[in-house]
Amino acid sequence: MRYGLGPEILRDISFTIDPGSFQLLSGPSGAGKTSLLKLIYLAERPSRGAISMFGRDIAVTPREELPALRRRIGVVFQDFRLLDHLTVFDNVSLPRRVMGEFEHGYRAEVEELLSWVGLGNRLNAKPATLSGGEKQRVAIARAVVAKPELLLADEPTGNVDPDIGGRIMRLFIELNRLGTSVLIATHDQRIMERLPATRIFQLAEGRITTSLTAKDVMASEAKRA
Amino acid sequence: MNTPKQSGLMPADSASGTTLHTIVAVMSFLACLTLGAVLMLSRLATEWTDGLSGSVTVQLLPSAQISPDDQMSEALRLVRQWPGIFKARPLDRGEAGKLLEPWLGEGSVLDDLPIPQLIEVTLTPGQQVEIEGLSRALADGVPGAHLDDHQRWNQELAAFAASSEAVGWAVLALIAVATLAIVIFATQAGLQAHREIVEVVHMIGARDIFIATEFQRHFMWLGLRGGFIGLMLAAATLLGSGYFWDAREAPVGAQLLPQFISAPYHYIWLLLVPVAIGLIALGTARLTVLRVLGRMP
Repeated sequence: MRYGLGPEILRDISFTIDPGSFQLLSGPSGAGKTSLLKLIYLAERPSRGAISMFGRDIAVTPREELPALRRRIGVVFQDFRLLDHLTVFDNVSLPRRVMGEFEHGYRAEVEELLSWVGLGNRLNAKPATLSGGEKQRVAIARAVVAKPELLLADEPTGNVDPDIGGRIMRLFIELNRLGTSVLIATHDQRIMERLPATRIFQLAEGRITTSLTAKDVMASEAKRA
Repeated sequence: MNTPKQSGLMPADSASGTTLHTIVAVMSFLACLTLGAVLMLSRLATEWTDGLSGSVTVQLLPSAQISPDDQMSEALRLVRQWPGIFKARPLDRGEAGKLLEPWLGEGSVLDDLPIPQLIEVTLTPGQQVEIEGLSRALADGVPGAHLDDHQRWNQELAAFAASSEAVGWAVLALIAVATLAIVIFATQAGLQAHREIVEVVHMIGARDIFIATEFQRHFMWLGLRGGFIGLMLAAATLLGSGYFWDAREAPVGAQLLPQFISAPYHYIWLLLVPVAIGLIALGTARLTVLRVLGRMP
């Protein structure tokens, strides 16, 4: 994959995300983690190669059918991408709104979800008044409110203290148990320590170099040190 | 806990929103004034062309065959019994003199001149009057009587009104094109300013139509609001100047304003201006957004 006429950012990448699986995507900054996630959440199309998603070949799927696929994917963006003029409640309910649902249909669920992430008393707050950790939790609530089959998170613990980071990871594990496939892009050692048996795709210079468990990655890094 | 209220996807107001409202209001103001002038001219042109301007004048030139008093009473009798005549009033010498004042000036010179006697004849509004028949009857029945139906004057005025009306329509078309261009420009600027919103909503799985609907609603309301502000200002201007000239001796042209103000159906046409601006904004916003979204994956 390349942006415009620039150099190829990702190449020779081949992997599958099994339904109900949990995996991490790791690698140094600039390795292409965010670009790979963009390909998966259909924000970019590959310049060559094939991506198959939910049994559909993305390259030949008509543009008008992509929104239906995107609705099956929840994304936690690295910079949250909350809409500043909307309240916490409106931000979180956005995916349900774009699906054509009315407020009375999702209201109770959104409120329950926000209570679950500890923001039950901030429904009417605007993002500008929230702390980094609170914004992160709003972004996560928005990503999961439509019960996606695949959840992608880009550095979800990057801006929060270890305590909140732990809670966020527990939330992901819980969602995974309920059947959602999870892919987390991170270079946070603490996540790997917490999930020693998880599969890790390691990305370096635009290629996936290894596909190991978190335990193996930590062991090899310890050896290198 | 307060009930959260669902708000529009577009921010309700922003700095660009204020500027846009102002521009749209000014365009609407100009469009309303132009349309008002066009409607007024159109009505006058029709009236003048149809010769329904409401009044004719009978001139009584001195004649050797009849005394001035008999000439006047005979002419008045003939005119008043003619069907469709609302009123016939002889102008006295002072009034006739006043009509000549611009050419001859004030003074005693008028006393020495054989000024024709005049009868001001008002036609019943909305009724077709057989003017030519009256003219013949006067010419045959009263020596020295001559009916002036202002035909030549009317025709020239009608031609002037028709050409002014055409210019008015051209100005109106230009304003519509300018409004269109402004809305296209504003939608594109709005898309740029709110690119984050568009991208996020797009990534969340919104269909293009959903995003376009949000944008077009935003711009339609902006167009309607700006349009109505312009309409209000235009109505205030028209009413205000009508009132102003009513209270004074109005120059030619300004006399037409009360006619406009007294035609309520003109206001229905003017009401269409903000509605049209709203629809133009809606349509252009929709097309622009769909075009921009079409370039996204």
